[in-house]
Amino acid sequence: MLTYTLQRFGLALITIWAISVISFVIIQLPPGDFVDAYIASLSASGSMVRQEEAQALRQLYGLDQPIWVQYWKWASRVAQGDFGTSMEWGRPVTEVLGDRLWLTVAVSLAAIFLTWGIALPIGIYSAVRQYSMADYAFTLIGFVGLAVPNFLLALIIMYFGFVLFDLNVGGLFSAEYQLAPWSWGKAKDLMAHLPLPALILALAGTAQLIRIMRANLLDELRRPYVATARARGLAEWRVIVKYPVRAALNPFASTIGYLLPFVVSGSIVVSLVLSLPTVGPLLLRALVAQDMFLAGTIVLLLGVLTVIGTFISDLILMWIDPRIRAGIHG
Amino acid sequence: MAFNSPLMAQLALGLVLAVGAMSPASAQSSLGQSGLVGTPEGITIVTDQAQWPKTFNEAPQLADLVKQGKLPAVKDRLPQDLMVIKPVKEIGKYGGTWRRGFTGPGDDENGNRINASDRPMLVDHTGAKVNPSLAKSWKMSDDGKVFTLNLRRGLRWSDGAPMTADDFVFWFEEIYSNKEILPVGIPDMTPAGKPGKIVKVDDYTVNFVFEVPFYLFEDLMGGDTLIGGGQAVRQSNKRSHGAYAPAHYLKKFLPKFMPGGADAANAAARAEGFDSWIARLHFKKDWTLNPELPVLGPFRTVQPINNAVWVMERNPFYWAVDTAGNQLPYLDRVQMTVVENLEVLNLRAMAGDYDLQERHIDLGKLPVLLENQARGKYKVHLDLALNGTDAIYHFNQSFDADAEIAKWLRNADFRRALSLAIDRKQLNETFWLGVAVPGSTAPGEALPYFPGPGWREKWSTFDQKTANEMLDKIGLSRKDAQGFRVRTDNGQRLRIQIQAVQAFLPWPKISEMVADQWAKVGIQADVRDTERNLAFTRTQNNEHHIMVWNNGGTELLYLFPRHAIPVDPTEAFMGPEHAKWYASGGTQGKKPEDPNILKMLELFTSAAGQKTDERIKTAQEIWKILIDQQYAIGTVGQSPALMGVRLVSERLGNIPSRNCIAQHCRTPGGAHPETWFYKN
Repeated sequence: MLTYTLQRFGLALITIWAISVISFVIIQLPPGDFVDAYIASLSASGSMVRQEEAQALRQLYGLDQPIWVQYWKWASRVAQGDFGTSMEWGRPVTEVLGDRLWLTVAVSLAAIFLTWGIALPIGIYSAVRQYSMADYAFTLIGFVGLAVPNFLLALIIMYFGFVLFDLNVGGLFSAEYQLAPWSWGKAKDLMAHLPLPALILALAGTAQLIRIMRANLLDELRRPYVATARARGLAEWRVIVKYPVRAALNPFASTIGYLLPFVVSGSIVVSLVLSLPTVGPLLLRALVAQDMFLAGTIVLLLGVLTVIGTFISDLILMWIDPRIRAGIHG
Repeated sequence: MAFNSPLMAQLALGLVLAVGAMSPASAQSSLGQSGLVGTPEGITIVTDQAQWPKTFNEAPQLADLVKQGKLPAVKDRLPQDLMVIKPVKEIGKYGGTWRRGFTGPGDDENGNRINASDRPMLVDHTGAKVNPSLAKSWKMSDDGKVFTLNLRRGLRWSDGAPMTADDFVFWFEEIYSNKEILPVGIPDMTPAGKPGKIVKVDDYTVNFVFEVPFYLFEDLMGGDTLIGGGQAVRQSNKRSHGAYAPAHYLKKFLPKFMPGGADAANAAARAEGFDSWIARLHFKKDWTLNPELPVLGPFRTVQPINNAVWVMERNPFYWAVDTAGNQLPYLDRVQMTVVENLEVLNLRAMAGDYDLQERHIDLGKLPVLLENQARGKYKVHLDLALNGTDAIYHFNQSFDADAEIAKWLRNADFRRALSLAIDRKQLNETFWLGVAVPGSTAPGEALPYFPGPGWREKWSTFDQKTANEMLDKIGLSRKDAQGFRVRTDNGQRLRIQIQAVQAFLPWPKISEMVADQWAKVGIQADVRDTERNLAFTRTQNNEHHIMVWNNGGTELLYLFPRHAIPVDPTEAFMGPEHAKWYASGGTQGKKPEDPNILKMLELFTSAAGQKTDERIKTAQEIWKILIDQQYAIGTVGQSPALMGVRLVSERLGNIPSRNCIAQHCRTPGGAHPETWFYKN
């Protein structure tokens, strides 16, 4: 068991290193570099950067060195916990990320719990009452939810929220709390802004999870052990929740590997549409501006979290599913 | 029916706007009737000292600081040579926060422009006349070799230190001339390739001295240029131009003034988390990032731009008063909230979350913006630009990768025919809601460089028949089965690429319509929707056939020529190799063969040493060549598409009913935001 864990850990380290190399290379792939992006954005405001100045800027950022030198400088700093300074924001990467990380976690967790809160009961109900009117209704809504892109839903909900209910549009804080230090008022303001983005983020995942839950549970319900349990006179509620639901939960657990990075980055497109001050839009912006340190750090963080998440989901699977536990021991 | 009457009125207005686009004149008049386009108006600077106020008032917050002994009295903070401003409508009152939206640290121009008065001279609301600002007066010597700025006596930085000629000399000697900060000189200081210099005459008199006549320098100093642009824009975001800098503050970050030289400077920079002393200097001289930096504009940063909210507060040493002696600005602060995308910015603007916003507002949303005026408690103004066209099609004259394509790109009748094949009315109604003016690339009549009647229309009307005839005549009469004209070398279809970037306007979509119109005269154009960086890289590598952009700024041809003639390699859409040739003095790039291009470049070079009247005539000459040759096709312009859709809170006072929108007007800064105030 220990060697198994150590092996996994060693593999995880190699995977993370590979991720760092690949992410660095991918960020370098588009033509040009940060200075080109900077020149392009300056020219939009009528400013002029001459070739010689651009070259001086490249030297300043070390962009004139070969890519492997740049990678080595970056990686050795990261290994020491120094993620560098974001070129675009002119602040340490950790600070730029730190501002947004907690808000992102708050929005994403709210979305995940909402997803589960909606999807699990509906999935169970649809499976148990298969082909009922409600099942058809949920199936219809589920398919619509799957088919409509999230960002479109976000735009529509945002527009009607504004027109019909005078909802504050976009963002997580009202103007008066933007600058205020944390207080009850600010927390309440955040709570008031949270449901809309959380709901939109949750809806797409919900439809998918309902379908998975329903299908899995249907499989389980037809198993002989369910019939046996019923024959033995167990209460119907207990029969369903205690065994088949638990078995059907496996896919939920195995998706946790992908949930962790989601928690940190959020849905990029939806966050962008709703103008949430989360990590997703930051990543997009860093990629467009070719801000290597910021983009590299975020991509690396996402990679690391995926690896950790996968590891955790393995552990959780062992915990909720006795069959897997048995598999390892045997 | 759920429609209420205001909505119907807006729909009707939309129709008026669309139908009004029949001809330039009627478009303008129906816009006039819409009430959305006001008359240009601006502040008045009172120069008669007899009318100047004798006693002064200040904002309550500053009065408190004076009482606590933390700030000198208001009369001691103001210069002897006052700037006395008569606001557009009335004397305002102190207080209030101006809420606005911005898109992040790259959007520094959003705030730079508000501080536009921190330059020696600033253009007025017409966009054609230059007013004093930091300098109370200026003079160009008769021989055109010495330009003198007379600074306001008693001018102070926002930290109270005096601002003098030494700050100009400091910038010139320690920043501009330091090759590590700026590797090369700028054309603004190097007429005919000969470097000029900045010389102190006395504390408040600065001379710019040149070896050759440089009459153009007066225009450069008054424009939004590298030399005349002022501190806010020219020294933020890693830029290092702008003619002056706060010597007393910045000296301590330069190796020359540190005991240990460059090593000590680098060590000090690393201790503060910067990679080198240059990186630290770029930070320290950036007003958007460094709240400590002394500035001269009406506002100074208190929370830097690299946060979710960028906050500015009034400069306690601002050097202007209103006619009643109130120190400006009236507004306490400016608060800009970051948005992740422009849709949200527009939606927030409609919700009344911003008090005055013209930047990033989308003309295409005009109907919805009007519909929400009452609930958002704002009023919509349309301000019209001065430049000729918002979508200009540049034909790459130095293209050489495909001889057949190059041949046609360089053929004047080919370009003229394609220009005649464009239905500008259709473009105007589809993408500009009919509010713009169709025509050539020439600037509007309001400016002195307007080449004369007829030149906005020349080769720029819709005439498919003539276009077809011209294309037949130049040797493109053979067509393929689908009716497209074929190449003369191999008989295959002639395909021209349009490189379009999704930036200020939906240029890819606009270009699709242009391509459809060209298809009707048998020319196949492929629109390449290109990411901006890639487009710029391809252009610099001389790979594009046709590039679409706008020509904003070209209305002042000498100050921002790059989108009119190929002189600046940065964005030489019309011929990158020719621009390199021109900018390098003939050592790099490729000399143009076309005598008309050579003529234009010659005219442009000679203009720097010409006096104003002659220089204007030269510019008109250049425009006439440009339009007759159609090196670039103009489509639709003089529109509110860029920063011309202005949402103004009903609570704000002293707002001009029409703003000048142009690069050199520093929209909205040219309208003097320091005179705006909250009525309630």
